[in-house]
Amino acid sequence: MATDIASVGATHGWRKVGRYSLLTFVAVIVLFPIYAVLLQALKSGPDSLDHPRSLLPVDLTFSTIRAAWHQGDLGRLLANSLFVSVVVTAGVIVTSLLAAYAFAFLNFPFKGPIFVFYLATMLVPGEVTVVFNQRTADSLGWINSYQGLIVPSLASTFGVFLVRQVFLQLPNELREAASLDGVGHLRFLWEVAAPLSRPTLGALGLFTFLGTWNAYLWPSQVIRGDRTHETIQIGLDRLKSSDISRLNLVTGGLVVAALPIFILLVVFQRQLVRGLTAGAVKG
Amino acid sequence: MKRRLRDAPAALLMLGASLVLLGVWTIYPLVRAIQTGHLSCDQTGRKCTEKGWGQYLDVFQSKQFQDALWVSIKLAVMTVPIGLILGIGLAVLADKHLRGIGFFRTVFSSTVATSVAVASLVWFVLLQPEIGVLSDLFSNWIPALKNPGLLRDPNTALPAVALSSIWASLGFTFIVITAGLQSVPKELYESAYVDGAGSFRRFTNVTLPMLSPSILFISVVLSTRALQTYGEVALLTGGGPEPEKSTTTIPYLIYGKNSLISGNIGLKSAAAVLLFLISLVFALVQFRGFEKRVHYGN
Amino acid sequence: MRTRSTRIAFLLAAVSLIAACSGGGDITDSGDAATTPSPAPSESLAPGDTAAAVTTTSVAPDALPDCPTDALATATGTTNITFWHSMSASLGEEVVKLTDAYNASQSKVKVKLVQGSYEETADNYYLASQGDRPDLVQLPEYQLQAMVDTASTVPVGRCIEASGYDTSAFLPTALAAYATQGVQWSIPFNISNPVLFYNKKAFAAAGLDPNTPPKSLDEMRAFSQQIVDSGASKYGLALESGFDSGGGWYVEQWFCKAKEFYTDGDNGRTSRATEVLFNAPTGVEVMTYLQQLLQDGLAVNVGDNTQTGFDNLLKLADDKEPAAMTMATSASLGQVLTVLAGGQFPQIGPDDVGVGPMPGPDGQPGALIGGASLWPVDSGDDVRTAATWDFITYLVGAQQQSQWAAATGYIPVRTDALGLDPFKTTLATDPRFGVAYEQLLASPDAPTSAGPVMGPLREVRSVLATAIAAVFDGADVTATLDAAAKQANGLITDYNIRNT
Repeated sequence: MATDIASVGATHGWRKVGRYSLLTFVAVIVLFPIYAVLLQALKSGPDSLDHPRSLLPVDLTFSTIRAAWHQGDLGRLLANSLFVSVVVTAGVIVTSLLAAYAFAFLNFPFKGPIFVFYLATMLVPGEVTVVFNQRTADSLGWINSYQGLIVPSLASTFGVFLVRQVFLQLPNELREAASLDGVGHLRFLWEVAAPLSRPTLGALGLFTFLGTWNAYLWPSQVIRGDRTHETIQIGLDRLKSSDISRLNLVTGGLVVAALPIFILLVVFQRQLVRGLTAGAVKG
Repeated sequence: MKRRLRDAPAALLMLGASLVLLGVWTIYPLVRAIQTGHLSCDQTGRKCTEKGWGQYLDVFQSKQFQDALWVSIKLAVMTVPIGLILGIGLAVLADKHLRGIGFFRTVFSSTVATSVAVASLVWFVLLQPEIGVLSDLFSNWIPALKNPGLLRDPNTALPAVALSSIWASLGFTFIVITAGLQSVPKELYESAYVDGAGSFRRFTNVTLPMLSPSILFISVVLSTRALQTYGEVALLTGGGPEPEKSTTTIPYLIYGKNSLISGNIGLKSAAAVLLFLISLVFALVQFRGFEKRVHYGN
Repeated sequence: MRTRSTRIAFLLAAVSLIAACSGGGDITDSGDAATTPSPAPSESLAPGDTAAAVTTTSVAPDALPDCPTDALATATGTTNITFWHSMSASLGEEVVKLTDAYNASQSKVKVKLVQGSYEETADNYYLASQGDRPDLVQLPEYQLQAMVDTASTVPVGRCIEASGYDTSAFLPTALAAYATQGVQWSIPFNISNPVLFYNKKAFAAAGLDPNTPPKSLDEMRAFSQQIVDSGASKYGLALESGFDSGGGWYVEQWFCKAKEFYTDGDNGRTSRATEVLFNAPTGVEVMTYLQQLLQDGLAVNVGDNTQTGFDNLLKLADDKEPAAMTMATSASLGQVLTVLAGGQFPQIGPDDVGVGPMPGPDGQPGALIGGASLWPVDSGDDVRTAATWDFITYLVGAQQQSQWAAATGYIPVRTDALGLDPFKTTLATDPRFGVAYEQLLASPDAPTSAGPVMGPLREVRSVLATAIAAVFDGADVTATLDAAAKQANGLITDYNIRNT
């Protein structure tokens, strides 16, 4: 666990070898589960169960993934997840921008209590509200529907606070100058404030997208068996359960479910790090 | 005062959407749950009778709730320290200007891309006793992998759930700690070096204290996650193995597929409200921690 | 900083410790009134003399809704109905095929399908407000009383009377399973019962006749002994304790084979059940027997089976420590053979699988049906009810049942389906598919051949599953079953109070 800093002396050759081997060793352990499942998914049924040969990259085939794709209707599930996540992300960005703007730039009656109300919602975990949200969704006829998946997640208190934090840091003169020029609230928000907070919005967007894509409890309670509206996360469970003849299909499903997110994160690595560390470093 | 009124319509418009959404989907269900928690209802939840507010205390003291609370606490006690140690270890290991370090960093942060469902099913496949890779490869050293299987043995099921959970959050921990490390001013190390501190002393006296905001943040996130664990349990163990229900967390007690209280929304509500209160205790402790940390950071 | 998270843990630990000292009751006993059981009064027409007897239905039989089956004939246009079914994976695909065929066969009714698991479909149904309910719902046998108590369905018996539908070809035990107090509530669609799966290769290697499975529990033990002693297989039998199989349902089966009731009120069919009887001598004997098998190394316990539903079957194919026999629902036979035909398991091929009746105490035959039935929902709309009945008669038609049974491994609900292709050919080429059917036919004509009915049957099975898992781990049989019975009785009392 010893720490060296690059600025203090150069690393010696042997230590370098040692560190590389340690890095490689640890990387192998971290990646092993993904590797094992990926290779099982790339093998035909009998090969995928022939351990440890299943770990050798030979006799690869797409037949398992193809079968999982068809039998699990994964294309449909992926499209559902994508649609729901995109709409929720867009919605959260809009509602967060608007509410954050009101809190940062507007003066209105009961601002304090309303702010506390927002704060309070942050303390209520989703695991608590599901019982009655399911009832609400039912009375609206939203069980087994996109509305049921989307609407309850459209407002994010976390998003409001994140964006408000950025807005508060914008120089006050900016807003004053704008209102002297007769620029309305919405135009100022759209043309000045929002563009200036783009990095934060990017991080918020990425996190909302990931959070929605990965959500499990609420989708499993609001989508009750209707496969046309199911998301990929709850659809995966179906590949696993109750049919012995589909034993290895779940590996194919896992690859299909995880791949888009891996790609997304490689592309948006910077936003991801920024978003994850926002809470820890900035406070 | 004049300005406050002038802005009011705009504010109402801008807050409207999120106010309604939060009211309908967060506050309303909470209020309904609090109110329903003292009722006893038929299976459709439409015919209820008073049971008295003592029902909350009874639920809290019931064996099932206590067991579930313990499972959640045990899960936190397992995932938080181990997750932190691994995350710090990886971050420190990769905090080097070496050729190709970017590749290793990507690898170490890769599990951040796995969802609860994906991570749980990955481990479910690997640990399946009859056909899982890990079970086949390591059963000579760890017989429990095969018979009865980690997820089927009451003593190992919860650690196995924790393992899946730790692995899945490793990427997150690694990224946060790495960012924390990078924000440590280099001069601190230099002066410690000049003072004759060895690398271990530099780690304990400089690195760890400077990482404390990140460590606190991760502890909070991971312990909250442990308290609210549902998907991992639903996919890995189904709350079992019996007879102890060794992995039934509070959310699984409420929403799990063979929940004893699934037919009575009164009890479900009471249990959910208790979960809320326990989360609240967590949150308050967190907020105090954050306050203190700000002073510390300055 | 480090101490803060530990402090949280300690705080919570302290809180729960305090609570643990002061309580520890059962969660379902929560609330003031729960501890004082008072059977709700209702104008009782129950036979017998027990004061506690409550009718099995809260609606008087003559007040039940009618089934105007002739309304469809005069209707114009297409009637759209919704069917919530509970068949997943390949079984679900079969339901889709049947429904597509029905939709294509006529133009008056169009069926839309929504698929869930048994638990999902049931929970959805109870959650749904009246307008959101489907026209037809498929629910498992353990939901019978709970469905009756919703008072939201049209009893199938009404439709049978109204249309003069001929049920003489139906298996009497299958129909009886969904009737209480003379009301035929729903109609069986998919039925199964547990059978013995065994590895013929292991039997042969142990010097046993691969075509003679054990009939009684004693024989099953003797066979296991011979298999283990000969080294043919590491274990004789693989046990599991899933709530809808080895942990609950099988005990009901063994009570049926022993011709004993599982609950009072004649299995809850002449009057509402108020207590379980699974801690009676038969239950203690069977559990002691299973525990002994495990302790003597003749059986292996794979635990709670509900995560995959086939862990015990996989144990037959394990390449290191296999078992030679296991009990599983007959409905999995088709899937088992498909998997083994894939060649994944060198241990056992499709032809090596033997199927026998589920061994019972003293080798007595018979079985209770499992599976699910169809419930027409009371929508108040005559045409939709009639359309639903029309679709039901299609699904339980002889030809469709033959196709369904051949594709899935379920047993046809009617005898005349056996003489029709494709199931006729299936039976002729592979008699293993007929074992469950014959086992059901062998059921004695006795009231004990219709399984237990009670509101919280799912929860009671879950309680028993916990107890059985403890017994498998070596707990005292009598004490464990007694405690489970007490808990189950609490559940029943609580349910009856809440739902009557």
